[in-house]
Amino acid sequence: MNLLDKLQILADSAKYDVSCSSSGSNRSNRPGGIGNASLPGICHSWSDDGRCISLLKLLFTNVCIYDCKYCVNRSSNDIRRASFTPDELCELTIQFYRRNYIEGLFLSSAVVKSPDYTMELMIRTLKKLRHEYRFNGYIHIKSIPGADMRLVYEAGLLADRMSINIELPSAAGLKLLAPQKEPVAILKPMDFIRERIEESRELVLYKGSQSFVPAGQTTQLIVGATRDSDLKILHLSEHLYSRYQLKRVYYSAYVPVNEDENLPSVHTGPPLLREHRIYQADWLLRFYGFKAHELLDEGHPNFDAHLDPKCDWALRHLDQFPVEINKAPLEMLMRVPGIGHRMASRIVRARRVGPLTFEDLKRMRVVLKRARYFITCNGRYYGGVDLDAGLLYPLLADKADKKVMAGQISLFG
Amino acid sequence: MIYVTDGSFEGILTAVFEAYSNKEEPDTITLGSDYQLSLGTEIREIATDAEKSDRVWRGIQSRISEKCLEDLYRAYLSEHHQAGLYIYRYVRLGLKLGRKVEGYLQHPDVQAIHDLSRRVASEVHLFLGLLRFRRLKNGIFYACYEPDSNITQLIAGHFAARLSDQPWIIHDKKRDVLALYNGVEVVFATGLPPIAEEACDEEYEALWKQYFKAIAIESRRNPKLQRSFMPARYWKNLAEKQL
Ligand code: SF4
Repeated sequence: MNLLDKLQILADSAKYDVSCSSSGSNRSNRPGGIGNASLPGICHSWSDDGRCISLLKLLFTNVCIYDCKYCVNRSSNDIRRASFTPDELCELTIQFYRRNYIEGLFLSSAVVKSPDYTMELMIRTLKKLRHEYRFNGYIHIKSIPGADMRLVYEAGLLADRMSINIELPSAAGLKLLAPQKEPVAILKPMDFIRERIEESRELVLYKGSQSFVPAGQTTQLIVGATRDSDLKILHLSEHLYSRYQLKRVYYSAYVPVNEDENLPSVHTGPPLLREHRIYQADWLLRFYGFKAHELLDEGHPNFDAHLDPKCDWALRHLDQFPVEINKAPLEMLMRVPGIGHRMASRIVRARRVGPLTFEDLKRMRVVLKRARYFITCNGRYYGGVDLDAGLLYPLLADKADKKVMAGQISLFG
Repeated sequence: MIYVTDGSFEGILTAVFEAYSNKEEPDTITLGSDYQLSLGTEIREIATDAEKSDRVWRGIQSRISEKCLEDLYRAYLSEHHQAGLYIYRYVRLGLKLGRKVEGYLQHPDVQAIHDLSRRVASEVHLFLGLLRFRRLKNGIFYACYEPDSNITQLIAGHFAARLSDQPWIIHDKKRDVLALYNGVEVVFATGLPPIAEEACDEEYEALWKQYFKAIAIESRRNPKLQRSFMPARYWKNLAEKQL
């Protein structure tokens, strides 16, 4: 099989992993080496689905011993199979990098022979890439569930970022759709990686020892393959951020690829709007000081399709509004629908120079379409209607026919 | 009153100096001699003067901030026809307010510089990713691009650090501005690159195109989103966007 075919097959089967970010590492080049890592990450292109291409995202092989029901690569599927050699992968990475197509490599794999065997192949590739090819750019490696911790550790010394995908948001879902995978095979290495990261941060401070996964670990949850509610997913994410110190949780709207009685039909499209809402809520957790229980609860377990999660929250907490633009603390400004955290801090800086009028906000390009109903400027309210959830809902809701710009909200994150 | 400069950053800072010492407020500060003249407007030719521009530079540094200089320089590189005037007005306000001026976004003069500086900064970031090199037969890596702003100086350092073991040339085709790297240092020049553009590197471009195609999920197709991140005017220098 030629390289072009391999690339086609092994990129095609890697594409359902949505993470492509190259952020979180800051490494300079070495003399005689090639590459460095840029802290905010860099996107190199955007594919036809509008997703950022930052890393060369490939599977080492799509030959799999497992038969997870939701996955294209499951052993019972009759598809073309291929494997790279370590040298082919290194050469591709280096040559793409020299032409500035990519920031680095995202290496994942199906499970060939055994988790340990697979992991060893991946490690051999990364070692070659780092030491023989002297590559200093970004590497993200997917850890294979069930692999020995010794191998996880070895991989972590070579990579910038590691991820273990949880995929199914509940143990019940896992049992139903990936019966050969144990939840503990996912959570145990996650915990192990977290501990090693903390350890290496402390050590690096005074010994300059080798860094371990400096850009942190991430995971991915599939949205819409199981019946789990948004509430369940968001609680899980919150837990993952605090307990495992994850850098990111990615969400992937399930693309039905297999016919199965326990899965949505292959004739349905991916739930992109739902994925979009969950991403928005994830941002509120990470950057806006919201807690999952504020956004959703048992009586309200799923996001409204027509309202973004912040609007949804605000309409249920109208007693906290309107807020005065010239007085409200930063944390409260960030809770105003339509005001992002960057705009909120610009407002805080600007009002130190002089009080802000409604016109000033317009000039500063604050998007007032939603915000106007939730603020006052020097005591004046410009919303034009009463602060009443029933009246505001139709004014804030997305039009049903509006096509969502689903996908990554952040440019580089 | 129109101040006519030679289009250099020093020229604009000299114009700022002159406006102060002549106690007059120019209506426009041009970037070069290519400007619109309307009947009855007076013109003052500004001769770029290193000492005068230096004094303005140091004044900004000490009385406003280092970051302010960076913002002004980026705004200048936008080549917006009013950039000179905006810089003058911003400096005038900044010398009064000190470093507070950076946050004074309700003021139109501050907003103008802020917008231009951001526009340039985001194009710089975009091209750290979108620049494409091709390996020529003589081993030099050549990249051409057509940025909206004059950003070659701002992106060259990144590639010198990253691709330090290969000689390369970055060529802004709109302005014929070049950055040349020989493995040791970057040299800037204007004019055409000292190499022939030849058909080459088909093998890796074909692999890259294949990858680009394979990685997209068909059921998520979203050209509008793609365009919003990667405007169509940049596509002609992207291998993956050529058929
Ligand atoms: S182990 Fe991974 S590649 Fe194999 S079937 Fe399961 S999800 Fe797919």
